[in-house]
Amino acid sequence: MSATSTAVVQRDRYLADLLNQATLAAEGSSLSLASLRATARALVQERTFPSNRDEEWRFTDLSSMLAVPFQAAPTMDGATLAQATDLLQTLTLGEASGRVVFVNGTYAQDLSTLPPAVQVLSQTGTLPDELGQIQGGNEVFTALNTAGFTDAAIVRIGKNSVLEQPLQLIYLTMGHQLLVQPRCLVIAESGSAATLVEEFHGVGASFTNSVSEIWVHDNAEITHLRLQQESTEAVHIGKTAISQARDSRYRNTTLNFGASISRHNIEVYQTGTQTETTLNGLTAIGDKQLADTHSLVALNHPHGVANQLQKNIMDDRSHGVFNGKVYVPQQAQLTNASQLNRNLLLSPKSRVDTKPELDIVADDVKCAHGATVSQLAPDELFYLQSRGINRDQAQRLLIYAFAMEMIEPLSVASLRERMTQYIQQWTV
Amino acid sequence: MSTSVQSVVSQPYKYGFVTDVESDVIPRGLSEDIIRLISQKKNEPEFMLEFRLKAYRQWLKMAEPTWPNVNYEPINYQDIIYYSAPKQSEKLKSLDEVDPEILATFEKLGLPLSEQKRLSNVAVDAVFDSVSIGTTFKEELAEHGIIFCSISEAVQEHPELIQKYLGSVVPSADNYFTALNAAVFSDGSFVYIPENTQCPMDLSTYFRINNGDSGQFERTLVVADKGSSVTYLEGCTAPMYDSNQLHAAVVELVALDDAKINYSTVQNWFAGDKDGKGGIYNFVTKRGLCSGKNSKISWTQVETGSAITWKYPSCVLVGDNSVGEFYSVALTNNMQQADTGTKMIHVGKNTRSTIISKGISAGNSKNSYRGLVKVNPKAENARNYSQCDSMLIGDTSNANTYPYIQVQNNTGQVEHEASTSKIGEDQLFYFAQRGISPEDAISMLISGFCRDVFNKLPMEFAAEADKLLALKLENSVG
Repeated sequence: MSATSTAVVQRDRYLADLLNQATLAAEGSSLSLASLRATARALVQERTFPSNRDEEWRFTDLSSMLAVPFQAAPTMDGATLAQATDLLQTLTLGEASGRVVFVNGTYAQDLSTLPPAVQVLSQTGTLPDELGQIQGGNEVFTALNTAGFTDAAIVRIGKNSVLEQPLQLIYLTMGHQLLVQPRCLVIAESGSAATLVEEFHGVGASFTNSVSEIWVHDNAEITHLRLQQESTEAVHIGKTAISQARDSRYRNTTLNFGASISRHNIEVYQTGTQTETTLNGLTAIGDKQLADTHSLVALNHPHGVANQLQKNIMDDRSHGVFNGKVYVPQQAQLTNASQLNRNLLLSPKSRVDTKPELDIVADDVKCAHGATVSQLAPDELFYLQSRGINRDQAQRLLIYAFAMEMIEPLSVASLRERMTQYIQQWTV
Repeated sequence: MSTSVQSVVSQPYKYGFVTDVESDVIPRGLSEDIIRLISQKKNEPEFMLEFRLKAYRQWLKMAEPTWPNVNYEPINYQDIIYYSAPKQSEKLKSLDEVDPEILATFEKLGLPLSEQKRLSNVAVDAVFDSVSIGTTFKEELAEHGIIFCSISEAVQEHPELIQKYLGSVVPSADNYFTALNAAVFSDGSFVYIPENTQCPMDLSTYFRINNGDSGQFERTLVVADKGSSVTYLEGCTAPMYDSNQLHAAVVELVALDDAKINYSTVQNWFAGDKDGKGGIYNFVTKRGLCSGKNSKISWTQVETGSAITWKYPSCVLVGDNSVGEFYSVALTNNMQQADTGTKMIHVGKNTRSTIISKGISAGNSKNSYRGLVKVNPKAENARNYSQCDSMLIGDTSNANTYPYIQVQNNTGQVEHEASTSKIGEDQLFYFAQRGISPEDAISMLISGFCRDVFNKLPMEFAAEADKLLALKLENSVG
């Protein structure tokens, strides 16, 4: 048997093991989603575990995972609870109306205060029709999550209701070699508006595989802040899928700081005319971290507006990956789409692979994309130095400024402050 | 209004005639025996046969690539004639002995080969089906020590240069089509510019596929020794057949210290009819190696023909301070598909590259830019600027960009930008106000859109490219 086919067999077996663990976790939970799970399981069984030979995973090497047999998480013990309580103290959002905490994929009632808009699937028991229905569910990790998630947050913002206070969802992954699969479903009914803060934190070398589905109905508006600050030993693979109806507005800011390997797939599917989509992202990594952002904006109707700005800062031996796709088929006339990816390489060993993609058929559109890669500009450093700021400080100032373009517009003040502090410490 | 734009770009193909000459054709199909037969027909030395057989064995192990954004029926490689040559009894002493039918063909294509008609200062190597028909200005060039001849001649007369450079930039096993080419290539052009020599005239190869069942597999090798410079032009046409023909060529450029190579292509293979029937599959690998310090390779291409174009003229910038450039206009219409772009691989220090790509898609065509800019870990101070503009004519054509940027050195600076646009009603109205017909207006707008690239073409070719676009745009506003 050749070396490649041995590797394929090994990856297949590994994926089967992951699926077994996911199934085990699913059986342990009280959720009854038999048909949804069976479909997802069948999907995973058809796939292989991705390798560098798959175009979608060309620069993100998951082979180091193959050595780690991730297990379904056991029920939370006292020590984990104490650890989680400590961690949560640093994550308070003053403005939020309550908070929803999941520890290792399971709802932590003692640590949560449920706001009225949020329910937890394990408590209500009724399966919303929308769960698992947004496109892109065939992707192997999304299917793995559907086959095995142990609980889900269900956020439903009623018709024309405007939530002034942000909703905070915190997913903690605590422990070693655990397979943790958080799940979230957001339904913003027509004319509603809300701000959603999703945070991923953790300790230990575990694997978090999250899926969030967001339905933004007619004329609704969702502001979504996603913070990934997992343990630097962890693997994080996350999917955010958005379905946008007529006249809806969706604004996302994704901050990626943690995990040894992280991948965020963000996919926007337009289902009506005149939608507005804003995707902002900041990745700041060091050591040997790898952070991968794959975005997809699929416009299928006229008069859509999409703006995307993804900034990546790579230090030490870290590796940034960006792949942004924008689809503008024939029916999406009068689309206005722009995409920019800016990369800052801080050290000689840092690396970036970027691919902004445009796929356009409609001719009456305005579409542009751009990508830049560089280190700090020498003339900017010189300018600051000529004003008596030493080189080290000047560098920090410029990196800080580069990052703050993404932090400053955050609409939740206490999160903005927490992130500003993080960036200040990170640049030291 | 958009229908008039549409009709303006849909023009009949003028070079679709067939020349009736007797051909020396070998049996269809591909096997070791066929390769031995080709090698024997060309009376090649042992090392060439070895080169071919090795490539063939590698080809057998490879799979046809599926990643390009193009669709086509599977190619039956056993149904292609791999060698076709106009019959000639013995070696020709001068161009005057060439079959007058063939000379007339090139005349009709606007390329007079006969001695008395050579007015323009361009040396031409004319390739008809699989073989080189004749090379002009050979003696004049030889006075400067420049070798310009068909590659079969070079194999016989300069085997040391062939052995040194053939396959040194594009290895046989580089991809499926390069392996196929290395196994069966029939002819092509060879250029060697000696040290410190500025080539006194532009060199040119004209490729013509005539036989309806043959594929064309030519190979071009240009070597510019230290301090030399050369401008090289390449043109291609083919008759109209309703079957698809395969053209799998390889072009290798080598630039040593301080050498400069400008390589320009005007590609106008038969593109198939408006329903996508027939046309050439143009699967070409072109690569330049800037192996020396301060060397420069510049690719300019105008791609208007072929049913499917699949080519990425690339520069490997190994020498310190070397420069790579890529200027491209790709026009697709009807059912044409183009997946084209470039690769700039920065290896040496202070290397620079520029990419300017203009894509125009009309009809139901698909036009993709696929490019790679790679900065290796040791390529200090690399600099790249890329710009890809697409113009859509009508709302059934497809424009895509897939730029890959891979940077592994933090002193590098890479910029990429892309945009799409269309010919607007307001622009046409502006022209109409000033008494300029929509036809002329569109022609001017497209010409303006492509100007950055046309400016880079040598004089003679710029005129030809302009003519080519004008041809695609003439007499059709209803």
